[in-house]
Amino acid sequence: MKRLPPVPGELIDRAQSFEFVFEGRRFLAHPGDTISSALLASGVRVLGRSFKYHRPRGVLSAAGHDVNALMQVQGPSYSVPNVRADIVAVEKGWRVTAVNTRGGLEHDRLRVLDRFAPFFPVGFYYKAFHGKRLFPFWERMFRHITGLGRIDLRAPRRATAKRYDFCDVLVVGAGPSGLTAALAAAERGAQVLLVDENAAAGGSGLYARGGEGAGAEEVHALLRSVRAEPRIRVLLNTYAAGYYADHWVALAAPECLIKVRARSVVIAQGAYELPAVFRGNDLPGVMLASAAQRLIYRYAVAPASRIAVLTANPEGYAAALDALAHGIEVAAVLDLRSDRGELSRHSAALLERAGVALHQGVTPIEAIGHSRGVAALLYRSAGGAQQRLPIDGLWMSVGFAPANALLHQAGTSMRYESAAEQFVPGELPAGVYACGKINGHYGLADRLADGNHAGAQAAFAAGRSGTAPAPAPQLGSECRTHAYPIFPHRGHKEFIDFDEDLQVCDIENACQEGFDSSELLKRFSTVGMGPSQGKHSNVNALRILARVRGEPVERVGTTTARPMYHPVPMAHLAGRGFTPERRTPVDAQHAALGAVFMPAGNWRRPEYYAIAGKSRAEAIAEEVRAVRTRAGLIDVGTLGKIEAHGPHAAEFLERLYTARFANLKTGMTRYGLMLDEAGVVVDDGVIARLAEGRFYFTTTTGNSATLFREFGRLAAWWNLPVGLVNLTGHMAAFNLAGPASRAILRGLTDLDLEHSAFPYLGVREAVVATVPCRIMRVGFVGELGYEIHAPASQGAHLWSALLEAGHRHGIRPFGVEAQRMLRLEKGHIIVGQDSDGVTNALELDMPWAIKMDKPFFVGQRSLRIIAKSARRQTLVGFKLPSESGARLRECNLIIADGRIAGRITSIGRSPTLGCHIGLALVEPAVAAGGELRIRTEQREEVTAGIVSLPFYDPHAERQKIEDTALLELAS
Amino acid sequence: MSVTNGATPRTVRLEDFSSRRRFGLKGPAAEAWLNERGFDVPPGANSARIGRDGVLVARLATSEFLIEDIGAAGESVQGAWRALESAHSPAGVYPVLRQDFVAGISGSGLPALLRQICNVDFDPVFEAHAAADGPVVLTSMAGVGVVAWPVRAADRCCITLWMDPSFAHYFQGTLSSIAQDIAR
Repeated sequence: MKRLPPVPGELIDRAQSFEFVFEGRRFLAHPGDTISSALLASGVRVLGRSFKYHRPRGVLSAAGHDVNALMQVQGPSYSVPNVRADIVAVEKGWRVTAVNTRGGLEHDRLRVLDRFAPFFPVGFYYKAFHGKRLFPFWERMFRHITGLGRIDLRAPRRATAKRYDFCDVLVVGAGPSGLTAALAAAERGAQVLLVDENAAAGGSGLYARGGEGAGAEEVHALLRSVRAEPRIRVLLNTYAAGYYADHWVALAAPECLIKVRARSVVIAQGAYELPAVFRGNDLPGVMLASAAQRLIYRYAVAPASRIAVLTANPEGYAAALDALAHGIEVAAVLDLRSDRGELSRHSAALLERAGVALHQGVTPIEAIGHSRGVAALLYRSAGGAQQRLPIDGLWMSVGFAPANALLHQAGTSMRYESAAEQFVPGELPAGVYACGKINGHYGLADRLADGNHAGAQAAFAAGRSGTAPAPAPQLGSECRTHAYPIFPHRGHKEFIDFDEDLQVCDIENACQEGFDSSELLKRFSTVGMGPSQGKHSNVNALRILARVRGEPVERVGTTTARPMYHPVPMAHLAGRGFTPERRTPVDAQHAALGAVFMPAGNWRRPEYYAIAGKSRAEAIAEEVRAVRTRAGLIDVGTLGKIEAHGPHAAEFLERLYTARFANLKTGMTRYGLMLDEAGVVVDDGVIARLAEGRFYFTTTTGNSATLFREFGRLAAWWNLPVGLVNLTGHMAAFNLAGPASRAILRGLTDLDLEHSAFPYLGVREAVVATVPCRIMRVGFVGELGYEIHAPASQGAHLWSALLEAGHRHGIRPFGVEAQRMLRLEKGHIIVGQDSDGVTNALELDMPWAIKMDKPFFVGQRSLRIIAKSARRQTLVGFKLPSESGARLRECNLIIADGRIAGRITSIGRSPTLGCHIGLALVEPAVAAGGELRIRTEQREEVTAGIVSLPFYDPHAERQKIEDTALLELAS
Repeated sequence: MSVTNGATPRTVRLEDFSSRRRFGLKGPAAEAWLNERGFDVPPGANSARIGRDGVLVARLATSEFLIEDIGAAGESVQGAWRALESAHSPAGVYPVLRQDFVAGISGSGLPALLRQICNVDFDPVFEAHAAADGPVVLTSMAGVGVVAWPVRAADRCCITLWMDPSFAHYFQGTLSSIAQDIAR
């Protein structure tokens, strides 16, 4: 292994060099070198250890799939795990270590596991974890001996941007067929985005040369044309990680994730070269021929000094010529086929002329080596004689698997093409095209013609026009892929899957254990479930499965290639998140008053207002007492606020809510309960009639956006021409509550607030503190109260005016927690807290709110059915002394006869009543029993007495009596 | 060909137009009512037009409109709103209180910014609509539902966004953060 003299087109900058450290030793690299190429250029063949058996491993693909060459890279301040040595450019000063070793790469203590391979049968994990008793033991052991890199928690958080991009035609893959497709589309006027995962475009056209063939010149000419074409943009070092509906494609670029929307897509991703499967095929120095060619032509590295080529196609002969052209001795070309075929004859003649031994009908037996790599190949000649060939490199070129994951994700139906021994697209979805090796075309001329055809078709699909392309080429007569390059050995270690250390016997045994479908085999054996996602292993595993089942490969099917089919950095996926937070118009005032905020839906709301020297509970209790004895002001601007206009508005609300609204008088409000079709309670609110055809109503905080969309859908469904307006963020809203609330409001408005003029549940439009408002007399917290709604821009002024006017009455702002306690004392439910996703309206025991005699409301039909059955649960109130109540939490279970019979939905210490009170959903039989047995988180049992609701002011006296009486009562 | 992996520093200008006078209306008779009062109503849904008095009429749907005074049009917008809000508003016309947070975004970094926050391709819109008239797009930006009005004037692209005012703090903060990244 050595650095070659300059190679035309190499990606390294020889004018500069720098040092980096690998496993404690210093090495030189040039800018552009990958970690692997720099190490190979310095004679290092062993790059990592395998996942399970800790076997030494080296380069396999040099194409981003070398899972056994994952590195932990230590930078100046933190380290990065799982860096792919075969494609990541090394940088000056990096300190690199192989992942998954104990004691370093060379002296890995866990390499002893290789000797215990027979004790790790297929499905070992499942079998080991089957019993509960030893689960922790196995878990700890597996965590210790297997794994990838270590996450460094010192790594900084980056708000990695995601971005969208758009084009007429997206071409994935900038090899010969992709370049031609891009040009064909651009020539027809399409704006083209061409992406390639490599640092340079050209694909195999630039590294699979067959010596110094003319093909590379043709590809260079294509590249020049692409550079000159202004309609083509090129993204390099970028791979398409997933295809989604409507031609959305996720691109993983070096710095971020790009979501591309294309009018049409051309998939030209080529094919993955497949390894031959024989004993010792994983030894360092044994690699895919394409890997060796990449190392030679991209990084000017000779990966061996004396090689053999194990082949079954013309590409293997071409690789041997590439080796010769760069001074690498080719000991032999060993062809698995008995007839090398027409396409290999010219290359074979050149090789023979150079003195290379060529053998047909060869069977590999074993690659022999040591901890530093391959030293010889043992094979059987066509005549049956066993031969030993001393080498330090073995290049495999026995076939390909098309890179068709994106086509699968796009919904392409595939068919197995026996002439090519690979799956090819059967029927492509509209706007999706494929070309090149994916279609089974491996000759350069065919790939170019196929790309031209696909590019033109894609341009047409994108709405562009131009000359019709030449027809797509027919499939060539010579197959590039060996039908079964698998050679089991009684000593095993013939690896199918390099990620998971799976051998031929593992796949066979899994089939024999009954996991004999492709999806079951994958999950049981874990084939294809490692970081390379089966790119080099799935096809060979399916071949074994087909042989065990005695069926052709096409009958066993393939596994699903889900997005992301190639690993994407977590930072890309996390990216910059968009989590909108809504704030009311008085958010700044809350902060100035010492609010402690909490999220409520996507709103930020004051949980309570902190008081220096007092606890949270004390502050909340003071807020409750202020509302009960003087006055409190809470920001309820987060409620959904909706208007319904038009002559059919009342009819619309009749259908939407369980209550009746056709008879609701103008100037009055009514409570509304909203159900879904199953009769489950989904929301509640107050509906106010402002005029004959004009209603204004509220929804709960978390549901407003969803419900507004649903209202629009229902109005269209019912064909009711009702004008719906969402005012949620456009209106501020405050609840002024407490015995002094009328007196406070009276100082700010000319509206007659007397009970006779503005009764309980009335609504009025009036000016308050110079602001035009809607005022509703409601009593959610159980006191005389006014819910005041005003335009958002004047909300801050109104809030300040109310607090100022209330100052002499001892007003306090109160938060969500105090409101929860106040409404609990009053026995009012909170939908979503005191109900859940299956709680129907009958179970909440609110018959007054449900008008079953109406012609229709959503959920009515279900309620009629439910009413005929025994009730499943019911809502009850309970009370208990504070010392035991303090141990209870919401969702604590109600136990009856040793089983779960319900749960607490609300619980808290009432400052007004001086004890703990709560609501619980329980079985009716338990509700009738008079007491609840509640299990705490500490598994203790607490008994609470069931009481009638509400806990406070059962006759709603506080809504009716006059100010003075109220204040007297409060005092 | 242009290789787009590189990054060029760009600027983004964010202006708050929330204080402009505006209102909305909807209903089957809304278009006729606007025409009667002399507003220049665009004929198709999802389009906008600026009248001679500097009043923008954005048609958000077949019978839903947003009216905004973007050229100091005096009392016409305010007067229309008062008439609409009065107890005798005409049948089939429903007033819509619009207290929107209105953001005007411009600058050389605008296209890059839009590509980070929205999945609509605005480039063709900017190219096709050099005048102030043009489409309005109802979409989502940075997770917030917006009405977007993209225009190009004197080769300067800008976009005006209307959104629920409760998102103002979040939206401004998010955009500022992205704009800083883009400017680097």
